[in-house]
Amino acid sequence: MAHQTIHRHTRLSIFMHWFNAVCWFFLLLTGLGLIRNDALQVFPAWPLWMRSVFGSPETLLLSHETVGIIWAGGFLIYGILLFRQEVIPFIREILTVEIPRDSLWLITKGIQMTLGYPALEKIAEKFGFDSRIPDQGFYNVGQKLFAIPSILGGVVIALTGFIMILSQYGTVAAELVQWSIVIHFITVGLVFAGLLIHIFMAAIAKGEQPALISMFTGTVPEDYAHHHHKLWLDEIRASDAAETSPAQGNG
Amino acid sequence: MRTQLAMVIDSSTCIDCKACMVACKVENQVPEGYWRNWVKSSEPRYADVDWMDSVRPAHFQPGGCMHCSNPTCVSACPTGATYKDESDGAVKVNDRLCIGCGYCIPACPYGARYRHPTRHVVDKCDFCQHRRDRGELPACVTTCPTKARVFGDINNPKSDAAQLLKQNRSIQIVHESVNTQPNMYYLSATAPINWPVKPGKPDAMQFWKLINPSIWGVVGLNALGVLLMLGKQILMSHDKPAADNSSPEKES
Ligand code: HEM
Repeated sequence: MAHQTIHRHTRLSIFMHWFNAVCWFFLLLTGLGLIRNDALQVFPAWPLWMRSVFGSPETLLLSHETVGIIWAGGFLIYGILLFRQEVIPFIREILTVEIPRDSLWLITKGIQMTLGYPALEKIAEKFGFDSRIPDQGFYNVGQKLFAIPSILGGVVIALTGFIMILSQYGTVAAELVQWSIVIHFITVGLVFAGLLIHIFMAAIAKGEQPALISMFTGTVPEDYAHHHHKLWLDEIRASDAAETSPAQGNG
Repeated sequence: MRTQLAMVIDSSTCIDCKACMVACKVENQVPEGYWRNWVKSSEPRYADVDWMDSVRPAHFQPGGCMHCSNPTCVSACPTGATYKDESDGAVKVNDRLCIGCGYCIPACPYGARYRHPTRHVVDKCDFCQHRRDRGELPACVTTCPTKARVFGDINNPKSDAAQLLKQNRSIQIVHESVNTQPNMYYLSATAPINWPVKPGKPDAMQFWKLINPSIWGVVGLNALGVLLMLGKQILMSHDKPAADNSSPEKES
């Protein structure tokens, strides 16, 4: 039983995740290299370095724009073709939040991640809440709280980027371009801040390795699912039972 | 010393013929309704009672981008598309990096920049780069019938411009709020001089500057949080719940 594996991600969604990750890093590094202004740039050497790596500032801009179009275009096609199969279920999953259970999850998991279990138990006793970390569904609320802004942020980043590209080929109101730059930057900054935690939880945090492996194989071991996403496992078992029980009854 | 191209202008010889404006417009294909350079004039005064003594004819003042040594437009550009070229000291626009956001336009106290309606980038005087490439002077300089505009490297003592500056008193036109250190000099005196405007920033740029530390702060805080969690993970490697009710080992 414990060695059984459970299907978690489709091949296409795995591909889209890593396609997104590769594009994101390329766009992040080149985008940071496009900001060359003493009052705004925190790493003044970075734009100089990026520009020499790419040969010229205009090649850097063109590369950023090209990969940006491939990234947004890829998601547009994926979103249209798999709207019903993958996009809608994903959106429904990340928007399903149960405030009392999930806020307790955030508190207990947060304390455990930073201070450890002994501290969690002491704090829980002192403030009178349950020290057990509540069960979670397909995604835990932490993942959902990253998924929602990263999807919304992606849309904002793509739209503002598109406006900036458009501005070079047609007349776009100056204010629109001016605000697009700022909103593009702010959105990337905020999603990136969340991304730091996402990458830590996914690739470094102890006990999460099966999730990382599932982002290549598509499956997780059952005991991992039980421990981390119990409500999801319960659902799968319930629907399996619903499917198989009539057959068993007849046989 | 580093080259600093500049214009030294004797505005008292300007006759307001505007040939420099026409030459520039034709040479650089400046679109209708826009100008890269100009001739300004002071108000003549004929209306004084004692008019015979105080009559002051209009004074004409040729001008254009002043290719400042402290260019407020360069500080406003987010990408470095507007830059001060180290090789000749001119302020230029890389039109393949510029996306036409126009942050720089209100930043110029002299109104020397505009957003090109068909090229969709910011356009301005570049001291006729293409003419200089073939060894010619800027179109406005060549055209001027009274030779009011003298062009050259003011850091080269042998240039006409440097000689003129050395032999005469000269003034630069700046707005009181910031010394842009313009590289356009007017011999002895000129008028009008109070026309530059305070360099401004679009609301978006101001907001960006305001919010920039917070964005980097949030990124930094999260990075710190991740480091803390990493440290905790390394230091407390045997961290286990004392009683884990939902552990699969117990259930199965
Ligand atoms: C080195 C970079 C990255 C690694 C190692 C990584 C790893 C992972 C893993 C292992 C999962 C699956 C979690 C599970 O099955 O429960 C996942 C999900 C996800 N990833 Fe990434 N990822 C990376 C970059 C990114 C980037 C750049 C984005 C978007 C900006 C992103 C957005 C997501 C989203 C939205 C999910 C869905 C679940 C969630 O919200 O956590 N990832 N990632």
